[in-house]
Amino acid sequence: MTEKRASLAKRSEILLIEDDPQIRKFLRAMLLAEDYRLHESVTGEDGLAQAAARNPDLVLLDLGLPDKDGVEVIHEIRKWSQMPILVISARDQERDKIAALDAGADDYVTKPFAPGEVSARIRANLRRAAVLDKNEPETITFGNICVDWSARRVLVGGSEVHLTPNEYKLLQVLLRHNGKVLTQRQLLKEVWGPEHLDEREYLRVFMSQLRHKLEADPAHPRHLITEPGVGYRLLTEN
Amino acid sequence: MKISTPATSRSTLFPEYVLAVLIVGLCTVISLLLRPHLTATNLVMVYFIGVLFIASRFSRRLAMLSSILSVAAFDFFCVPPYYTFAVTDYEYFITFAVMFLVAFLISAMTARIRFQTTAALEREAQTNALYRLSNELAGHSRVFEIARAAAVLAQDTFRIKTTIFLPGDDGQISFSRRTSDHLYVPSVEQSIAQWVFEHGENAGKGMKTFPAASALYIPIRSARKMFGVMAVIPNVGASDALPSEHKRLLEVFASQTGLAIERTIAASAAQTAEVRVEAESMRTSLLSAVSHDLRTPLASITGAAATLRTHWDRLENDVRDELLQSVTDEAERLNRLLSNLLEVTRLESGVHLHKEAFPLEEVIGAALHRLRRQLAGRNVKTDIPANLPMVSMDDVLMEQVFINLVENAVKYTPTGSAIEIAAYLRDNFVEVEVRDSGPGFKQGHEERVFDKFFRDRTDNIRGAGLGLAICRAIVEAHGGTIRALNRAGGGAILHFNIPMSDSESTLTPAQRNKS
Repeated sequence: MTEKRASLAKRSEILLIEDDPQIRKFLRAMLLAEDYRLHESVTGEDGLAQAAARNPDLVLLDLGLPDKDGVEVIHEIRKWSQMPILVISARDQERDKIAALDAGADDYVTKPFAPGEVSARIRANLRRAAVLDKNEPETITFGNICVDWSARRVLVGGSEVHLTPNEYKLLQVLLRHNGKVLTQRQLLKEVWGPEHLDEREYLRVFMSQLRHKLEADPAHPRHLITEPGVGYRLLTEN
Repeated sequence: MKISTPATSRSTLFPEYVLAVLIVGLCTVISLLLRPHLTATNLVMVYFIGVLFIASRFSRRLAMLSSILSVAAFDFFCVPPYYTFAVTDYEYFITFAVMFLVAFLISAMTARIRFQTTAALEREAQTNALYRLSNELAGHSRVFEIARAAAVLAQDTFRIKTTIFLPGDDGQISFSRRTSDHLYVPSVEQSIAQWVFEHGENAGKGMKTFPAASALYIPIRSARKMFGVMAVIPNVGASDALPSEHKRLLEVFASQTGLAIERTIAASAAQTAEVRVEAESMRTSLLSAVSHDLRTPLASITGAAATLRTHWDRLENDVRDELLQSVTDEAERLNRLLSNLLEVTRLESGVHLHKEAFPLEEVIGAALHRLRRQLAGRNVKTDIPANLPMVSMDDVLMEQVFINLVENAVKYTPTGSAIEIAAYLRDNFVEVEVRDSGPGFKQGHEERVFDKFFRDRTDNIRGAGLGLAICRAIVEAHGGTIRALNRAGGGAILHFNIPMSDSESTLTPAQRNKS
């Protein structure tokens, strides 16, 4: 038993909560082929029970479940765990995506999936979860941008860029959730406080300023990415 | 068109009597001049001329009066002894009697002839009115307009006040749906109008049904259907009840109006049917276009999958790969077609825009990020002024516009050629251009490329012809316009503009940098 566990130490456990048998079939094939350990649920209730029993490394959750609203499942899980939750949603349901993200989901993929998208997202979220467990590094470098937390300095292409306190805070929040989509609400709450949740225009202005300071072409950004209708995400790798 | 009638109204009566006296006086003056030369009996003729003149011009009553006056004047001036009514020669009594009788007959006959002439004229005028009615009504296309024109014409022709009441949506005659306010009828009579509307028969004043009503109600109907009710009250001063001749003509008038309304309704029904047929044929061609576009990728998918299953072992590795690749590609194509179709349907059924102020570059950036795979190896130049104010828009839809435009540019231009996106402010609009350096649009296609399922070029470039239709729907929903142009040096330009928000959030990001 101990030997077996040791040999499986690298293999992440994924809980798939999805009611559609065809989607489940292909995800199962794909995940097993990519060497994950897989548990499956077809209902929200069973999914919650399995999440509690098995404590998986990541939950892959379909929002349209027969017995329970997917957003509710996220709320339930978030009561006791920060395990990454990757949501599967139908196309063009910005509202559902925002609701899921606000409830605490980490990311979403949209049906139908682009090839390789699901596994890329799973990897990114597992990696982020692993990093979160550790202490924040002193400096983060992405592209030609270098952020030095201890000195509160930001270098672009080697030369220092001055950020206002709010811009710096915004960058900090985005970096802390590196790769994850943050809704406008979440960003407003974390940077400006819960009493400024409706000042989306304000947020846009600051994002624009940050882009102008950090991106080579702010109209063709590589790192500060907008998800129209949903929010923003910071990409440190391409 | 007014019909002239014997002037019998009280206001003109007095001058007529004066006139009668004057004419008889004139006859007397002539008789006095002729008295020395003619015998008295011949002077009677002078008076006859006077009576004839009056009878031919004025009322019969006046003619009779002038007959009496003439006899008296003749006696006084022309019969000796002069200047007294006393008569010495009793033969003159015969003259008086014959004179009065002849004068009386002249006035009676003249009056009758004149009445017949007038009646004939009136009939002609009314026939004319009916003719004009059908002409005039033919020029109107709406039921209400027809009814109003008919009411106006009837009023002018028949010396009546009239209004036509039309049924409301509930099929009940409503006094509030009427052609004019000239006629006042008590609202309790609405039930009489309703009765007429339901029974298709005349009722009201002068009729057997509801004789106590203030107006006469005539149905406006065709052989099969009721359209409304005409209420009629004779003009003040005209005889109290309508002459039966008028009543009959009014009925003809009403039925003509009914026919005109029926014709109009039939015409508009035909037009509706025509539109429906057109829409139907459009739907059919749309369906055939869609089903073709849906079937082709489906056929590839099922074909490739079936081949893989049955011949897996006998297929070369790279052939398997190719088939699998075509399954994914075709499925992707199907997906895009369906989403575009859904999008078009959604936009056409009316878009609700979630507008907020956005920096344009953010929306463009999001679109370019989403297209990063297709854009790999492409040179995309963006030219957006840093001081461009935020623009009020639905960011999700506007991102779609940029995705479609840039995707088109990628699809129709050689790999590696540059794509430019430029924006600038003009008046209260932000103008955007997406330019490529491909072959441009075919001559004359610049307008049609925005039509659904229209494709500029069909040679080995796939698509359903929906992308630009979606763009146009979105841009127009934002109150803007979009057009396609060819560049002078070759290449296509897609130019659109949308209004900046009218007042709020015209601050530039840079201006807000104070906090």
